[in-house]
Amino acid sequence: MARTSIAVVFAGSGGAGAMTAGAVLLRAAAHAGYYGLMAQLFGAQVRGGESAALVQISTEPIEAQPDRYDLFVALDWDKVEQFAAEIPLDEATVIIADPQAGAVPPSIAKSKGRTVPLSMNDPQASKLERDLRGRHVNMFAVGMVCALIGLGASDVQAAIDNIFAGRGKELIAANAKGAALGAAAAAALTLNLRLDAPRPAARWLISGNQALALGALRGGVRFVGCYPITPATDLVEWLAPHLLKLGGRLVLGEDELASINMALGASYGGTPAMTVTSGPGFSLMIETLGLAVAAEIPVVLIDVMRAGPSTGIASKTEQSDVNLAIYGAHGDAPRVVLAPMSIADCINTAEYAVYVAESLQLPVIVLSDQSLGQTTTVIDPAADRPKPLKRRINGGQPDKPFKRYAIGSDPITPMPLPGTPGYEWVAEGLTHNEVGLPASGAGVHVAQINKRAKKIRRFDPCNYWGASWGNGDVAVLAFGSTIAPAREAARRLAATGRPIRVVALRVLSPLPMNSIARALNGARRIIVVEQNHGAQLYHYLIGQKAIPPNAESVARPGPLPFRPSEIASYVV
Amino acid sequence: MSGTLVDTGHDEAHCVFAAKDFSSGAHPVWCPGCGDFGVLAALERGLAKHGRPPNEVVLVSGIGCSSRLPGYMSCFGFHGVHGRALAVAAEIKLVRPDLDVISVGGDGDGYSIGGNHFIHACRRNVDMLYVVMDNRVYGMTKGQPSPTTEPDWNCDIAPGGIGLRPFNPLSVAIAAGANYVARGFSGDPNGLADLIADGIRWPGFAFIEVLSPCVTFRPEQTEWKKMVRPSALSVDQDRAAATALVLADDGFSLGVLFRGERASAAPALKPQISLADIEREFALGV
Repeated sequence: MARTSIAVVFAGSGGAGAMTAGAVLLRAAAHAGYYGLMAQLFGAQVRGGESAALVQISTEPIEAQPDRYDLFVALDWDKVEQFAAEIPLDEATVIIADPQAGAVPPSIAKSKGRTVPLSMNDPQASKLERDLRGRHVNMFAVGMVCALIGLGASDVQAAIDNIFAGRGKELIAANAKGAALGAAAAAALTLNLRLDAPRPAARWLISGNQALALGALRGGVRFVGCYPITPATDLVEWLAPHLLKLGGRLVLGEDELASINMALGASYGGTPAMTVTSGPGFSLMIETLGLAVAAEIPVVLIDVMRAGPSTGIASKTEQSDVNLAIYGAHGDAPRVVLAPMSIADCINTAEYAVYVAESLQLPVIVLSDQSLGQTTTVIDPAADRPKPLKRRINGGQPDKPFKRYAIGSDPITPMPLPGTPGYEWVAEGLTHNEVGLPASGAGVHVAQINKRAKKIRRFDPCNYWGASWGNGDVAVLAFGSTIAPAREAARRLAATGRPIRVVALRVLSPLPMNSIARALNGARRIIVVEQNHGAQLYHYLIGQKAIPPNAESVARPGPLPFRPSEIASYVV
Repeated sequence: MSGTLVDTGHDEAHCVFAAKDFSSGAHPVWCPGCGDFGVLAALERGLAKHGRPPNEVVLVSGIGCSSRLPGYMSCFGFHGVHGRALAVAAEIKLVRPDLDVISVGGDGDGYSIGGNHFIHACRRNVDMLYVVMDNRVYGMTKGQPSPTTEPDWNCDIAPGGIGLRPFNPLSVAIAAGANYVARGFSGDPNGLADLIADGIRWPGFAFIEVLSPCVTFRPEQTEWKKMVRPSALSVDQDRAAATALVLADDGFSLGVLFRGERASAAPALKPQISLADIEREFALGV
């Protein structure tokens, strides 16, 4: 009997090639027409730490991490104790390991999964020789897995050609040979892990971080100021060469304080601009976020959240920057906070973020997280895109002096590009009058606070507020990376005759109150699911009266992802 | 000592703009007698000499008494947060090479809270001018020692003096890679105007440290007018020699102290690919 999906772990110490093995499996399967997803589990060490590629292949679209893994392939056992507890295995899991790597460690063996010994090395080789040759064990392993699930040699070759492109024919040939040896070894294993036939279509293979970057480029971002920080760095590393070739520029700042100020400078100059960071860097940027609010400068800030507070866990996910994104800054500093609803939606949400920032002349924060950002998946590219919105640069009276911050019926006032004769103005972070000169009078202060608040009050995301699926009388409300497991839980519950609805927020601030009310209409139970200890989203929703006082909160810290079964079992 | 610090090669009679064209007319918050009035006058004159209209100039500042300056001029401006003006200014220039960008501020803003950005702005060497009005004190917060304050200056927050070696911004700028390093004096607005016009035109990052007395908290600085003099030396290219010059100096030599020709940041490329090209990278070859 064939299956519709399989969840596979490649595990090894850092540098063993687990991630590469996972990438080859995912791409080979995607090439064959399957859906798939690969999340990454790794520690802080650059080399020699723990490392596991968590791969799912399916005939159907797949977004959530699974409840359990079907296959665990050990490239070695060196660091497995450091992450064994974070990978759910059970008695139905097949564990493939090289006996030469030693006995299956207790942390893995306690799953009672069936162990299949398989020599991935020359049995005569010494440990030193194995270590030296170890770089192809990962290819042996992935070749074997591809063959077990029924992928053809041409799909594996296509994946290897793509992943090792530009690194020389010899390396490609050596890796292909390793994979072929693994495929040959698979024939001797009495395992049936074959997948049903796929339904090929024109699809993309993309990570959340790449998708955010692409969306920002689509929105018109042509300047990025940034500082290296895990797990946002791969976003800007992908972006840098592409931005350059598009005629834009990425500048590596001396710190995050510089990075966001660089973005503001470029934006003031007329180029849609963005900065990209994670929690610790976001904290450093908060003062200038307030400047962008006060001086009314468009900027997009992407926060790829990681576990906090302080330095937290750099490489692992959490949804704990909600408060910082919504409230972070001294004074009244209204801004727009968005969160992508899936990896695929990272594209549209980032594009939309640029349009909102440009049209409202304020900072827009995009809350992604490590789980969305560093997961690569097969998507059906969305046919629709957000409607382009532009910065208002024309209009207003070329008075002397020009009233950049004019108080009138429209809170969005023209922002002429520097260089425009007769429209000279000063971007001002101090409380200022209509011209932009510093002023400390009560009337001026209130007028400008009201102007900025009005921009937010009038902002209507229409159908970009979020989404709602299903119509049961139990509603699970989520954002970002918790939406996928909530939807998977809903699918399973629906299959057992207990439909629930899932309400996903794309706009976290200002809250789309009417849309939320419509989505929750008639719900008997409302359950807010989020990955932080303090129930930050829940308390915010309660405080805004977006949900009733009897709404329930399921809030726990990261870095473990919400599993569909965890949400389903809470609901029932 | 007017107009003798540098030959700008410009005949003022042929200037299209007058200094007043660069004034916004707003009344500065500065104390009567503040040195920053002289710097404001020098900027207006220097820009008139430079000859580009106010709308083609952007003034960028941080926080402090001197950082209020953009509001007093008729150019475009950006008055941001404390210490970060150089990050803003350099990126305006990178995306708008058609404009002249000048960052202004004080010694606290530029050398203390913004010290890291100062170093890296010199390294990046973006084609712009940075004018620091140095009065060796935090004036707006009413008299605390700044990075350039003498170690024995007595004050409420550090009775008997802060006891720290003063920061030497010129040597740091030369070592970090600035292309143009000069010192001016607010009491000599014509000489400073010439330095400003010269610094704007010099390719790369130009830095002018201006002695600008704080008459309120450092009244003894009114004596600076007796201490300043044109520098006997100016160094081209040789950063070691220029560093030796500024380290040996008593801090009162005026004029261009160093000029280099290090390449500035490269302009952005013309677009070579389209978004559709990028999107094709994600498409699976099915």
